[in-house]
Amino acid sequence: MDHREPAVPGDATARPYERGPYRPVPQVDTATAVRRAEQGTVAAAARGLTKTYGLGDVRVPALRGVDLDLPRGRFTAIMGPSGSGKSTLMHCLAGLDRPDGGTVAVAGIELTSLDDDALTIFRREHVGFVFQAFNLLPMLTAAENILLPLELGGQRVDDAARERARMLAEILGVADRLGHRPAELSGGQQQRVAIARALITRPDLLFADEPTGNLDSATSTEVLDHLRRSAHELGQTVVMVTHDRDAAAYADHVVTMRDGRIV
Amino acid sequence: MRTVFLASLRTHLRRHVAAVVAVATAVAFVVVVGVLTAGARAALIERLGAPYRNADLVVSPVGWPASHMKPEDVIAFAERLGENASAIGRASLPLRAGGRRIPEAGVGPISTVERWRWQPLESGRFAVRGGEAVADVHFALANDVSIGDRLVIGEGAAAAAVRVVGLVESPSPPAQADVYVTWPQLLRWRDRLHLGSVAVRGEAGTLPPGGKAQSPEAFAEERLTAVQNQVDSVRVMLLLFAGVAVFVAAVVVTNTFAILFAQRLRDFALLRCVGATRRQVARSVRLEAAAVGTFASLAGAVAGAALGYGLIAAIDLVAPDTPVVAAAPPPSWLLGGVAVGLVVTVAAAWSPTRRVLRVSPLAALRPDVAAGPRTGVGRARAALAVLPAAAGFALLAAAVMQHGVALMLAGGGALFAGVLLLGPVLVPRLIRLPIGLFGPTGRLAAENAARNPRRTATTAAALLVGVTLTTAALTGMATWRAALDEHIGGRHPIDLALTSAKGPVGADVLDRVRRTPGVERAIAVPGAVARVSGLDGPFPVVAAPAAAEVARDGGAFAQVEPGTIKIDFEAFRSGPGLRPGEQVTVRVGERQARLRVAAGSGWGPAGVVAPQTLAALTGTPEPHAVWVRAAPGADPARLGGDLDELADPIDATIENGLRTWESLDRQLSVLSWSVLGLLAVAIVIALIGVANTLGLSVLERVREHALLRALGLTRAGLRRTLAIEALLLSATATLLGTVLGVGFAWSGYETVIRPALREAAFHIPWPSLGAVVLATTLAGLLAAVLPARRAARVTPAAGLSFD
Repeated sequence: MDHREPAVPGDATARPYERGPYRPVPQVDTATAVRRAEQGTVAAAARGLTKTYGLGDVRVPALRGVDLDLPRGRFTAIMGPSGSGKSTLMHCLAGLDRPDGGTVAVAGIELTSLDDDALTIFRREHVGFVFQAFNLLPMLTAAENILLPLELGGQRVDDAARERARMLAEILGVADRLGHRPAELSGGQQQRVAIARALITRPDLLFADEPTGNLDSATSTEVLDHLRRSAHELGQTVVMVTHDRDAAAYADHVVTMRDGRIV
Repeated sequence: MRTVFLASLRTHLRRHVAAVVAVATAVAFVVVVGVLTAGARAALIERLGAPYRNADLVVSPVGWPASHMKPEDVIAFAERLGENASAIGRASLPLRAGGRRIPEAGVGPISTVERWRWQPLESGRFAVRGGEAVADVHFALANDVSIGDRLVIGEGAAAAAVRVVGLVESPSPPAQADVYVTWPQLLRWRDRLHLGSVAVRGEAGTLPPGGKAQSPEAFAEERLTAVQNQVDSVRVMLLLFAGVAVFVAAVVVTNTFAILFAQRLRDFALLRCVGATRRQVARSVRLEAAAVGTFASLAGAVAGAALGYGLIAAIDLVAPDTPVVAAAPPPSWLLGGVAVGLVVTVAAAWSPTRRVLRVSPLAALRPDVAAGPRTGVGRARAALAVLPAAAGFALLAAAVMQHGVALMLAGGGALFAGVLLLGPVLVPRLIRLPIGLFGPTGRLAAENAARNPRRTATTAAALLVGVTLTTAALTGMATWRAALDEHIGGRHPIDLALTSAKGPVGADVLDRVRRTPGVERAIAVPGAVARVSGLDGPFPVVAAPAAAEVARDGGAFAQVEPGTIKIDFEAFRSGPGLRPGEQVTVRVGERQARLRVAAGSGWGPAGVVAPQTLAALTGTPEPHAVWVRAAPGADPARLGGDLDELADPIDATIENGLRTWESLDRQLSVLSWSVLGLLAVAIVIALIGVANTLGLSVLERVREHALLRALGLTRAGLRRTLAIEALLLSATATLLGTVLGVGFAWSGYETVIRPALREAAFHIPWPSLGAVVLATTLAGLLAAVLPARRAARVTPAAGLSFD
């Protein structure tokens, strides 16, 4: 794997990553959480999140009151079996869905007060995504996929942006595949292109939803390593949702969920 | 498999909606054609049978039309039955009306008994005694006969004078005559009488020799063959248009099934894994198609019947003269329409089913099957598709050179087939052309449209057919009309001409002419009254440098060389008695000139000379003619009548050339609008296809759209992407279709029109074509509205977990 000098150093002080059980969150209110986020220790904070799907007989409570702080510059894993609500939690934190109750603050912005267009713009500017599959648009090349968030923002893709895209691709080891379409890339290469795309806007949060679900163990290791290095070398806040213990082991903090609650 | 079949039918019903609508529309078209033609036939039979409406029997010759009954026998038979019989026929007699002699006019009987009077009264009253007559409306118009006129029928000893007391219509062709008199009056010419049938009430008794009795319905059916041809040719034309609609519907339905089945690949694969054989799955799918087709066809038949009868009612309100009535629904047409819809749907499902079943079950179950199979066209196939296109070009070139219509049709068909086959190669490239135009959303849209070449091409093909035919028809008709305009313009340059051979036409007359409703422009033409050797009586001679203001040929006819006098040969009922090229002496007062005669037509009994010639003949020219240009839509008969009133006091004559113009204009307009309306149906079906393709594609791309929304594309942005995709598709198809259509029209012009009308120029109706392009493109944009809203409504989270 390439060890390159990052051209954009984040927090230069490389913090050793901490292992161990997750420390419970002290009970603070939203205002404090927001302030903390503004001060830079917490990238995102959620208080009292609830979300229920369906009505009547088929009602499924996905989140039953979740409080969470996501530390800045760290790699956090949200773990749990299927149906534990981890994907729902991620969707609410990322602004992909609205919780039924509770509040979410990301980078000092209170999400629950934003309308749909504002949420969309928020995502564009502050969040990056890597999914388990269907990460890339099949009819665009890798380079075009990486630059997609900038284009959607209506910005003209200038040379600086293209250079940054190329640099990210080099760091991730897919620089020679930039002109290829996703169908011509392996699973691991696709995920790495997705990570590059997630990083191009320098987001406050990078969310990864089961990023290694479809990959073999060697490729999984590569991808997880890239995610970890994004956090440690680029100062990126990375949140990964997974059901795989081995994958969660790469994270600095692990949050475990069961039946819609953090345990 | 029955539970699977029923369940999938229920689940996927919504996705079949567009296909149902397309097939139903085509079937409705066919049924409407059937209802209308049946209605036309029924109306014609009704009119034909008008004289026999109140009859129990009709007596007509056995072995008609070969044999006939002797008039004396028929007269005796009719006289015997008295009021219970009405003989139908006519005598061909010379007729004198207002100083004119018509050598052969048809004179028929009009009954004094209400029951047997079948001629509807237009104005005046019926003839009830000898010496009175009613004239057919069209005969009266053509021969300047009006109520109160005195006609002399017959010649010599058999002549009789009658007075016209009314005008009537003659709806029944076998019984038609120009003038109707009472039966006793008609018997005066019994030796010239030809009686084809007798309507009888009650018992007939002994029939005249050679006669047979039948019911009025049977009689009408027998006589219908003559009129049948009219109805038949219209029916064939309408069927052609229905055929186009059916073809377009077939394309849309095939595309729908292709997309739908590709989306259900997983389901089919699962069924096969679980144990269903290929044949079982195929049968279930085809049954589904048959169910959809049956429903669509039945719905279409019902809708078509309702629409057909509604149209007949509307026609009755708007143009009650048109021969069409609400007849019984024609069973063969209904069944035929339903059969066509069913066959089209089942046939359309055939190929997509086979393609889907060829995929191995496990391959379809793998999770990385992204949005639908990529369907491109191999190089070999593309090369093969160039052949018919090239052949088409060659055939068209040959057709143009040799003026062969068959060659042209073959060439056009081959070229079009080639373009359709090349579609998957051509269309995506064309769509990507304006790629920079709409920004990043535009690029996404273009890429989306181009990524599935065969599907995009098929959708575009449906629209292409409709647009090509419409633009070809528009251009062809515009060229033909322009050519005819010029042609007629040459023969009837002046709409109405008021000519005075006596005193000059005063300024007040000119003023009143100008103020007459329907007159667009009128000019006074200066001249003088002359005596021309070879012509009886005073003859006005005029010079008209300002003719271009009112003439339909730009004044060309009035540009006469000095030394020539141009005479309207048509203005003399039996010719002027002069020959073109002859030298005549024209005398005005003391002066005279020797001029050569040239022939022309369309401005009335006045000789046109060059201004120099007129100046040589008189120093004081006065207006002796007023030439009128009518406003569009002016009623020729009424305008002629109005101007007649103005002309009578000063003893001037009126030449009315407007009638020819007007009827031609009206016919062409009706034809144009009908063709456009019929083709519009095909275009509407094709646009349904665009909406359908887009809607189904949206279903495939739910995860992609969720990804885009997650990455930061707003809802409006997503809608915009889909709208641009639809816009690109319809704009490409429309523009390509317009180019093809104009090209085909040009080849038609070169092959058919130019040899016939040499001065005809190729005329491209830019405004109409622009309107078609704009309307179709905008409609394509509209087609995206519903799919786009549906796509934008899905939250990103829901879309990401979509399966």
